[in-house]
Amino acid sequence: MSKLNPKKSPLIEMKGVTKEYTPRKQFFSKSQNKVLALNSIDLSIEKGEIFGLVGQSGSGKTTTGRLLVRLEAPTSGSIYLNGSPINRLKGASLKAYRSKVQMIFQDPYQSLNPHLSISDTILEPLVVHGIGNASAQREKVLHTLEIVGLTPSNDFYDRYPHQLSGGQRQRVAVARAIVLDPDFIVADEPTSMLDATIAIQLFKLLTDIRKKFDMTFLFITHNLAAANYLCDKIAVIHEGHIVEVNTTDKIIHHPEHPYTKKLIQVQPGFNFGGRRG
Amino acid sequence: MALLSIKNLTIGYQTKEGILKAVDDISFELEKGRPLGFVGESGCGKTTLGMTLMGLLPDNARILGGSIGFQNKDLTQLNEDQWRKVRGKEIAMIFQAAMNALNPVMRVDEQVIEAIVTHQPEISPNDLENRINELFDLVEIPRARMKDFPHEYSGGMKQRVIIAMALACNPKLIIADEPTTALDVIVQDQILKEIKIIQQAMDTGLIFISHDIAVVASVCEDICVMYGGQIVETGTKQEVFASPRHPYTKALLGSYLSLDNQASVIIPDMREAPDLTLKSGSCRFAVNCKRCSRACKIGIPHWANISKTHRVLCCDETITGKTNE
Amino acid sequence: MLKTHYIRRFLKSWKIFIQNPLGKTGVIILTVFMLMALASFIVPHINPMYDPMTGIDPDIRVSTGPSLTHFLGTDNVGRDLFAQLLEGAKVAFIVGLSSAFFSIVIGTVVGMVSGYAGGMLDAFLMRMADIIMVMPSLVILLILASLFGQFNIWIIVFIIAIMRWPAVSRVIRSQTLSLKQRPFIEASQVAGASHLRIIFRHIMPNVLPLAFLYMTFRVTSAILVEAALSFLGFGDPSQVSWGMMLQWVWKSGHMFQAPYWLIPPGLSISLLTLAFYLLGRAMDEVLDPRLRKEGQS
Repeated sequence: MSKLNPKKSPLIEMKGVTKEYTPRKQFFSKSQNKVLALNSIDLSIEKGEIFGLVGQSGSGKTTTGRLLVRLEAPTSGSIYLNGSPINRLKGASLKAYRSKVQMIFQDPYQSLNPHLSISDTILEPLVVHGIGNASAQREKVLHTLEIVGLTPSNDFYDRYPHQLSGGQRQRVAVARAIVLDPDFIVADEPTSMLDATIAIQLFKLLTDIRKKFDMTFLFITHNLAAANYLCDKIAVIHEGHIVEVNTTDKIIHHPEHPYTKKLIQVQPGFNFGGRRG
Repeated sequence: MALLSIKNLTIGYQTKEGILKAVDDISFELEKGRPLGFVGESGCGKTTLGMTLMGLLPDNARILGGSIGFQNKDLTQLNEDQWRKVRGKEIAMIFQAAMNALNPVMRVDEQVIEAIVTHQPEISPNDLENRINELFDLVEIPRARMKDFPHEYSGGMKQRVIIAMALACNPKLIIADEPTTALDVIVQDQILKEIKIIQQAMDTGLIFISHDIAVVASVCEDICVMYGGQIVETGTKQEVFASPRHPYTKALLGSYLSLDNQASVIIPDMREAPDLTLKSGSCRFAVNCKRCSRACKIGIPHWANISKTHRVLCCDETITGKTNE
Repeated sequence: MLKTHYIRRFLKSWKIFIQNPLGKTGVIILTVFMLMALASFIVPHINPMYDPMTGIDPDIRVSTGPSLTHFLGTDNVGRDLFAQLLEGAKVAFIVGLSSAFFSIVIGTVVGMVSGYAGGMLDAFLMRMADIIMVMPSLVILLILASLFGQFNIWIIVFIIAIMRWPAVSRVIRSQTLSLKQRPFIEASQVAGASHLRIIFRHIMPNVLPLAFLYMTFRVTSAILVEAALSFLGFGDPSQVSWGMMLQWVWKSGHMFQAPYWLIPPGLSISLLTLAFYLLGRAMDEVLDPRLRKEGQS
């Protein structure tokens, strides 16, 4: 946030990104040649922001996340990290990119290998990138377990996913994402499979991490209220287009696009006034 | 007269750790004109309750006690043959992600026809056609789309077909178990509105089960909050949501995110998943409760009436008493 | 960490396995034959007369029935039949287990690589598998045998393995395909893991149980193929196997006169293959929790 460099380039930029899928012919469907998951989207995320991407299923929000972590490559358009393009990265430079950009997956019951202990899962990124020797790695994992609130860390170190609850597993997923000290984390609906009382605790963890490490997040969700709670900026995505981007306050209280307005209008809400505490 | 009257119902699952009481000694009544919502999170027993009301408990589950009074019958005493006459005809269910329950190789109208004919085999072709048209109109599916296959329908339309199938035989009671969880927010809004309209038009009893308190509040008049197999608080929705008493209800409300309640969000310090193996009668919420006293740990929580309709299950005097904290 | 986890899981699976009546029976039969196979190493040393190939009882010139010195009797040149049966057990185990093992190793690696890589490599490997699968293995073996004369036992093992890996690879491949989509695989990719690491660290532990299950089926077929080969006279002449015993009883014209000679090898083949089959069925239950009865975990 230096005043000496007012035209600071954003941490993540997507310019004109399009993603097409050519599905295999299905038995009953009418002939479809291409599915346009993303249609020339632009996105700009500053360092230290929690940026929300709000859309319903099929809107392209998950695809956006996957493109950013290079699980897939865009059909056209470019993606930049700190100004450098990442589209064509291969081999060692792709691996280096991976140490800077990580992901928290949606399903805590599927995103951890059931055969690996918690420590093995969190160690993997360190091992793959050859960071530190065995005891340094162990220290790092224990430290990370404490950051995500899985204490006593020695105890959780040796446990297996099936011994953990959904919320605890998600914390392991967070630990795995932060262990490499990345610059940017894509959180793909990290709480949609958790109870509300547990989800909100996970949100607190994410904001704590942002504060502690000046971490940048892309928070993908279908829940506008969650984005409202967590995010600094929100982009609303619908059928592969970004229909509106603005600060959270403006999106919620001064929406411009009809789709945004509709989303706000249908939020189930109830207001009986009164205390909650 | 209450349509459904549940007294001291307890349902357990046989596991290798012993009997897990998924529902522990619950009692409530359902009036026809007042949709009743059950709200709670994983492990609270609401889905088990829903399945019990349809006689669809799995093999390793057992009704351990209590009664379910419905239409001068006790549903806990029915065998499978008797249940088959009740299910679909008198009590119908709308499941979670029910749209996956549609047969992909059968046309949609045929599936609804099957639902009707199963319980009314003697219906005349004329009456049948009228009924089908009536149902599709009721759930707002255009008649031109009636002969499509399920995969040609959107998620919302599929859910509407499921609702049509549930209504096919004019049931007295509908149990909706998270009917809109798998749907987009915009579609959810439409479906919830339709459920309300249909319930009023057909004058059926409605039990609505969900983890989402706002969804429950938009459809129901009365609320039961469940935790660990017990009903911890019950009352009209105004009472329960505007003046919650039980610490769990407060935690639930405090975790709820809406577009305008930033300030009132409270982060609870709760462990996940209630312990269902605790002995009957003990307070399941004690381990999470900030007000838990020694009396709470050994005592048996009892029902306290806050008003004629508002009751809370607790040991703590400041919660159950009419005094403010 | 990983080892204790595997050991714990193995013990847990063993408990379920052993409660199953099929598993129990299979294990009992198997143990009996294993003891027999082990005994075959010792027996010739008790008395050189008991050597299955060369041991000849000097007092006997024709095939005789069971007696105290010869539990099952002797063949027509005076060799002890029981010793031959023990040796046959050893050969059956060697052939069965080794060829099954090799076909599993080849099949698993091919299946995993094929499923994970997809595209041209997948297509190529699966076409090769198809080609091999449609070849009638026994006929091929016979043709090769008639061309090259008699086979060493390890050549037989090798050829059986080559013929049998495709079936394994198909199953492992489809398992891999479904695993590939699981989020924890993607999570490893995002962490930067190489394809090789993902295949051997993440996919393999998940497909290995299936591979072992298939191994039991491979063993039965390998034993049968070896028996058939030996019976037809193409087996390894330096080893006595049950098929070989059957060939001798037939060739020497004693088929209908010496039931004590005919029945034991035939029965042994049936029982041993049955044992492995039962093992496979019991393992099925271990792997698929839905098949277990109430009360088991």
